[in-house]
Amino acid sequence: MENFTHLTRPGIVKSYVTTLQISAFSAAGGVFFGFLLAYAATLGGLPRALKSFLLTFSGVASNFAGVPLAFTFIATLGRVGLVTTVLSTVFGIDLYDTGFNLYSFWGLGITYLYFQIPLMVLLITPALEAMKPSWREAAESLGAGSLVYWVRVGLPLLLPAILASFIMLFGNAFGAYATAYALTGGLLNLVPILIGAQIRGDVLHDPNLGYALALGMVAIMTASIFAYLALQKQTSRWMT
Amino acid sequence: MPYLTLQNISKSFGSARAVESFDLRVEKGEFISLLGGSGCGKTTTLRMIAGFETPSSGTIHIGGIEVEHLPPRKRNVGFVFQNYALFPNLTVAGNIAFGLKVARQKKADLLARTNEMLELIHMTELAGRYPHQLSGGQQQRVALARALAPRPGLLLLDEPLSALDAKNRQRLRQEIRELQQLLGITTVYVTHDQEEALAMSDRVVVMNKGRIEQVGTPREIYQQPKAGFTAEFIGTLNRLHGVWEQPDQGIVRVGNLLLRTSPARGGLAGSPVALGIRPEALVWNGQGANSLPGRLVSTSFLGPSIRCVLEVDGQKLIFDRLNHTVGFPPKVGDEILLTLACADLIVL
Amino acid sequence: MDDLSATRSLARVVRHALIVASGVVFFVLPLVATFLFSLHGKKNELGFSAYEHVFADPQFYSTFLFSLEMAFATVVLGLVLLLPTVLWMHLRAPRARALIEGFALLPFVVPPIVLVFGLIKLYSRPPLDLVTSPLLLVAGYIVISFPYLFRSLDAGVRALDLKSLTEASQSLGASMVTTLWRVIIPNLRTSLLGAGFLTFAIVLGELTLAVLLAWPAFGPYMALVGRDLAYEPAALAIVSFLLTWLFIGLVQLLTRTKGP
Repeated sequence: MENFTHLTRPGIVKSYVTTLQISAFSAAGGVFFGFLLAYAATLGGLPRALKSFLLTFSGVASNFAGVPLAFTFIATLGRVGLVTTVLSTVFGIDLYDTGFNLYSFWGLGITYLYFQIPLMVLLITPALEAMKPSWREAAESLGAGSLVYWVRVGLPLLLPAILASFIMLFGNAFGAYATAYALTGGLLNLVPILIGAQIRGDVLHDPNLGYALALGMVAIMTASIFAYLALQKQTSRWMT
Repeated sequence: MPYLTLQNISKSFGSARAVESFDLRVEKGEFISLLGGSGCGKTTTLRMIAGFETPSSGTIHIGGIEVEHLPPRKRNVGFVFQNYALFPNLTVAGNIAFGLKVARQKKADLLARTNEMLELIHMTELAGRYPHQLSGGQQQRVALARALAPRPGLLLLDEPLSALDAKNRQRLRQEIRELQQLLGITTVYVTHDQEEALAMSDRVVVMNKGRIEQVGTPREIYQQPKAGFTAEFIGTLNRLHGVWEQPDQGIVRVGNLLLRTSPARGGLAGSPVALGIRPEALVWNGQGANSLPGRLVSTSFLGPSIRCVLEVDGQKLIFDRLNHTVGFPPKVGDEILLTLACADLIVL
Repeated sequence: MDDLSATRSLARVVRHALIVASGVVFFVLPLVATFLFSLHGKKNELGFSAYEHVFADPQFYSTFLFSLEMAFATVVLGLVLLLPTVLWMHLRAPRARALIEGFALLPFVVPPIVLVFGLIKLYSRPPLDLVTSPLLLVAGYIVISFPYLFRSLDAGVRALDLKSLTEASQSLGASMVTTLWRVIIPNLRTSLLGAGFLTFAIVLGELTLAVLLAWPAFGPYMALVGRDLAYEPAALAIVSFLLTWLFIGLVQLLTRTKGP
């Protein structure tokens, strides 16, 4: 049990904080952009084929993580990546001069968005499809414009699903090892990376730290799951 | 001046014509039903009045104002949906008060009006419930109250009772009509249920394939259906084919029989005429002026009545007998005589 | 339709189309970049030499084959484990659904990194000295792909009227095994194949379990290539992406052509 005191060591606390931050950032970005994308495809008046293509693509992209994803972003935003090169040759901006570094917190966060956004699309589309057009019409007939409808009916109804998706995305990022490892080579101070290091025996061999880290992660994930399930229940109560 | 006017309204979805040449005038306080089968254009017409669809051509006037270019929220109409469309995240009271809140009414007025509506639908104790906690009938009453709370000039209902079971439907039908008469609100009601339309309306508009077939009071529609669709659609109708014998007297020859219609609505002597007879108008051994002898071919026990089929001169007639024994009931194969009043012989 | 509402709807659709367009740019750009990058195999020359390198590397084939074998084992063992469970749940124990769906959440609560940590700690000492056995890897893979396997099978069984089918078959004299083999499985072909392909896609790209349990799988191979070479990793990324598309595409094809 004194394993848990390990968790209060400043280096460990920092790793939890960093992992929480990157999870929150990529989850928030994923929720925001994923929602816009899913909404545009589902309720935006665009051709049906687009939505089914988007869902298929999201099915692939949400699994596209780990090593191939890291390579992809290195080829895009790495020091000699396409975007980096285009920015310097065409626009004269040196990306890495501005302080950006793919192999850092923000770089990893953006890389995570590549599977977080599609995951959000997959998670929120059923809820968007369950939004009855008659709610919108009823609100209109009662005098509500677009904004009023969204503020009073639309967003409140979608909020549980959005929050549930956020939790799902958060957990997804929190436990992610492969992408972080492949991109930063184990240098970034994240909890999954630390656990990996413990397994390899890379660090000061501290057998109990691994247990503590693992249990700490499971605790956070379990709490997330309970919140997620409660929110799903609320969504189904309102939207069936 | 009529409160609601539709002039030459038509609506096409792509190449499909949903509504065509629709003309209607509804007086203030009148209860009008749009009656027809699925795909006849009744819901599309209702939605055009509400503003959820824009007509391809024609004009709509509500309260003297031309509205077909106005969005729904500027038309002062209340709409009740088939699936109720209650906002799941708001309580009963919240739903009812929605229109008032949007109009930024003062809190005190809002509360008073909401309570008033709750009383009207007898759901004051359920004000704090959420829609998923209510039965279908209760949800429909809330939907009605929600639509009426902002005091709209026009009430539109799209098959509001079709998702309910028969018993609930009967009860709510009455409640809706009573409420409408109490408030005196002009109402357009869409349904595919004839009984509903006939029982509730001041006038019925029978629709088919996007066009109006006939407009009239329930009695007119039932007892004087115009040829073709209305006749077939409303109730059961026996059809007889005959020839005018003495049109000015209203005398028709049907096979070996001479029958008389009243009033005399004749055509040319010798020209063919289609006649309609309602099953309940044929009476066994009754007192009508017309006699139709025939052979009883079959009977079906329906509970309160017995539906019988009589063969008269090669044509089959359906007639209904009430299920009480008066003397000896006729058996299949018997030769019996049916009588029919002249006024009940409908010229189609 | 009058001008104002037509313009309003048009503006709305354009707005949404722009959002989708930006999404497309975000997702396609990295892929294009990777593809272009992978063509830089030879100095100052655009060509497929990086791909040639990759396809000439014996390790590419050996690790790919290894992962395929593991994927196959995962699918077979996973289905052998899960199919009876799902059938049993539908036929006899509908209440167990909550429990089983709870298990489907396990890979979320216990992410692969924690899973592999636990597996190592549990199975690295006698009498359960299984850490060096590939079975452990397969077991880990089964846990990871459990949710996908379960959901696919569950959806497939739900579409059948399992109870009636089984009763009809048994009333005609078939044993449970025969029923399973001749009636149920043929009708679940789509779900089984769909679940299989999905698992293949997951296992092929999997890194965490494979690298920490020190297996020569495709994932660790890619990581190794990334460490040493410059352009070959990009080629591998494209190959991997195409493979995933292939598998998921097959799944979509199967689920689109509805029916057993």
